[in-house]
Amino acid sequence: MAVRKIKTVYDVVCPFCGTLCDDLEVDVVDNKITEVRNGCQIGTKKFFASNPSEHRYKTPLIKVNGSFKEASWDEALDKAADILVKAKRPLLYGFSSTECEAQSKGVELAEILGAILDNTASVCHGPTILAEQDVGVPTSTLGEYKNRADLVIFWGCNPVHAHPRHLSRYSEFVRGYFRKDGRNDRFIVVIDPRNTHTAQIADLFIQVNPSEDYGLLNAIRAILRGVELDEKEVAGVSMENIKELADKVKSCNFGVIFFGMGLTQSLAHHRNIDAAICLTRELNDHTKFLITPMRGHYNVTGANQVFTWITGYPFSIDFSRGYPRYNPGEFSSVELLLKDQVDASLMVSTDPASNFPAASVKNMFKHPLIAIEPHETPTSVNADIILPPAYAGIECEGTAYRMDSIPLRLRKVKDAPNGLLTDREILERLIEKVKEKKGE
Amino acid sequence: MTQVKLKLKKQPNVPLEAESITPDNFAGKNINEIKGLIVYHGKEKEKIGDYFDVSGESSEINDLKIIIEGDLSNIKRIGEKMTSGEIIINGNVGMHVGNQMGGGKILINGNADDWAGAMLKGGELEITGDAGNYIGSAYRGYWKGMENGLIKVKGKVGHESMLWARSSKGAKKFPMLICGGAASFLGIHNHGGTIIVEGDVDRCAGADQAWGTIVIKGKVSRKLPSFKKMGEINEITLPNGDVIKGKFIEYSGDHATKKETNGRLYIAA
Amino acid sequence: MERREEMSLENLILLTGRTINQGVALEGGKTTKENVRAAAICTFDHEDFKKLDIISGTPVKVSTDFGEVIVYSTISEEGPHPGIIFIPMGPWANQVVNPDSQSCGTPTYKGMKAKVQVVKDGKVLGALELIKTLIEV
Repeated sequence: MAVRKIKTVYDVVCPFCGTLCDDLEVDVVDNKITEVRNGCQIGTKKFFASNPSEHRYKTPLIKVNGSFKEASWDEALDKAADILVKAKRPLLYGFSSTECEAQSKGVELAEILGAILDNTASVCHGPTILAEQDVGVPTSTLGEYKNRADLVIFWGCNPVHAHPRHLSRYSEFVRGYFRKDGRNDRFIVVIDPRNTHTAQIADLFIQVNPSEDYGLLNAIRAILRGVELDEKEVAGVSMENIKELADKVKSCNFGVIFFGMGLTQSLAHHRNIDAAICLTRELNDHTKFLITPMRGHYNVTGANQVFTWITGYPFSIDFSRGYPRYNPGEFSSVELLLKDQVDASLMVSTDPASNFPAASVKNMFKHPLIAIEPHETPTSVNADIILPPAYAGIECEGTAYRMDSIPLRLRKVKDAPNGLLTDREILERLIEKVKEKKGE
Repeated sequence: MTQVKLKLKKQPNVPLEAESITPDNFAGKNINEIKGLIVYHGKEKEKIGDYFDVSGESSEINDLKIIIEGDLSNIKRIGEKMTSGEIIINGNVGMHVGNQMGGGKILINGNADDWAGAMLKGGELEITGDAGNYIGSAYRGYWKGMENGLIKVKGKVGHESMLWARSSKGAKKFPMLICGGAASFLGIHNHGGTIIVEGDVDRCAGADQAWGTIVIKGKVSRKLPSFKKMGEINEITLPNGDVIKGKFIEYSGDHATKKETNGRLYIAA
Repeated sequence: MERREEMSLENLILLTGRTINQGVALEGGKTTKENVRAAAICTFDHEDFKKLDIISGTPVKVSTDFGEVIVYSTISEEGPHPGIIFIPMGPWANQVVNPDSQSCGTPTYKGMKAKVQVVKDGKVLGALELIKTLIEV
């Protein structure tokens, strides 16, 4: 009997959420992942999903008369380039689940095409970025919070579900240099309309009415200034509770607010973050306080970083004039699709058919659609061309940025099946094809 | 006054950007030259003549009136940075109409999309229908929005209207917005702008107002908790000296930004 | 707190968001049955669910001003949250969310007014079938 040769890769960075855990151990046998240690449920599943399966594409596919036919890379890329070059206002979207090297190629392609370039921040933490551009942001790295924070507020986020290891690595249970007793050395506050699993293990849970967070933030800020308010209750929270919270945040040694989609995706969007940042800034009159967004996709922060260092803008960028212009709400994907203002789209490692509101998905399907996507998704199944890449962070190396903007090097644990190209290689070859067609 | 008439003859497939349509650009040009001015259709450069029938004659800028007919809701940036003259638009118009204009007048007989009169520096913008979001606002990341001039909207204005308005008493600059109704976050981050609303206003009016005056003659769906009631008054004197008569409740705020503030919110009693 | 007094199943507020089951299911395959079980589900406050008088798993139709969708129903583990219903993020939730972003780019995925109707023989569509309904022929 042949001996099974297990290759174990240590210190693997998990390409799922913005926590970017970097302590995974992955066992590989015959180029298949057989075991993942230290990962959360979701991250572990992602590693296993990279093994060949009926859901994973093996070759490029082109839709002919309503059904997919296998194609060579050259043929598929040629067709894709054709679509993009012919379009008057193509949209390049996604980029948050791939490595920074591929993202930079995406910017290059968008510039050559005069396209609109957007990443998934546009539907998650885009409002956070807008608020940061308006009022700045006092923030820090997760290591600081781990070692120093004695008061942690989770506002409109539910890390037990969305960032499963955040609590044990950085914010709640972990022992820090000045927080030797871990959970007992930290006071945890959760502010949410639902008594979430994160709230159920908190020291203080404040149940705020849905979509009314702005009023609550606003009231806390006024109280911290020593203003006596007329109201008895704000956003479903009694004035005593608000005052209690205000005292609590003032009297800690080192506080931090983590916030999520509960603030960015409800009414008031970026103004919630605007107020939360102002509150954080003002709390520094009393003690040390910082704020950090709970970024979703593992490299959405990287997408913002890469787009910014090349174009000056983090997302929703229009290259139609040959130079970058920025305006979320005008050049952001969902709005453009809602108003039916793009005439072709390239989706890079993303599934807008699942993630965008139905009305915008409808318009996306009216025009040619190209998907760079390893898996069968509602987007890829309805695309005209599918370009299957190697899994970034599992089958190829690259850089990714954690939610606190710390770059980490993704590791390769196995080879891509069938010699699939990486996202970066696909975009590079697409750029060549487009240049050829434009006669450059 | 001489007139140049533009009549839309075909709809663009994707938004057309037509910042070339201003009295500044038309002044002193003949009709053929005007037809040849550039507009941007997606990533392609096209000409005004491709989309509009152009007639009339041009003259000096101060004496020039541009009249545009048709549904322009997919045409952006008309009147951008204009300094003088007049534009009349008979129909709905797309985003950024009259943004950063410094003088002259724009009249829109219809609705305007987002960012109308954004960062207005002077002149007058009048809209007989409704306006979109961010009317008279600062562009992303700017701390100076509307600095001077007047915007009048008969209908409702959208969210975050007149964001980061900045007045200057010394320079006698009093940016002002008069509208029929408003959505949420009216006059947010206000630094001296004057807003008068004839009708009702949605949530969070005057959020983060450092100073300035907001007068609401209708109802407010929800007042921010950080505004404190001062009392009832019978007339309001605006920063530019105008007086509004009527029974109002006077609130001071936004106290989230300042403990002592001369920011005022007046809501009809 | 008016919503708590005027409770009725016609006057609910819909929230959407990540759940760990939905995260695991989508990484496992977006077109799978697991994803339907994890994301095509509406969770109710315990007391609200009693009023519906159904067993957990019964299909319900959730309607908002922006559309309607049929999903399974169950009792929330993250209650009590009277008046609030929750559907995990994904294609089902996105049939009924508010696409308007107030021009900031990000749709309003949370906080829609919603009503719920029991449809015992209703069919919960798979992700692909559901998205297919959006394609104009």
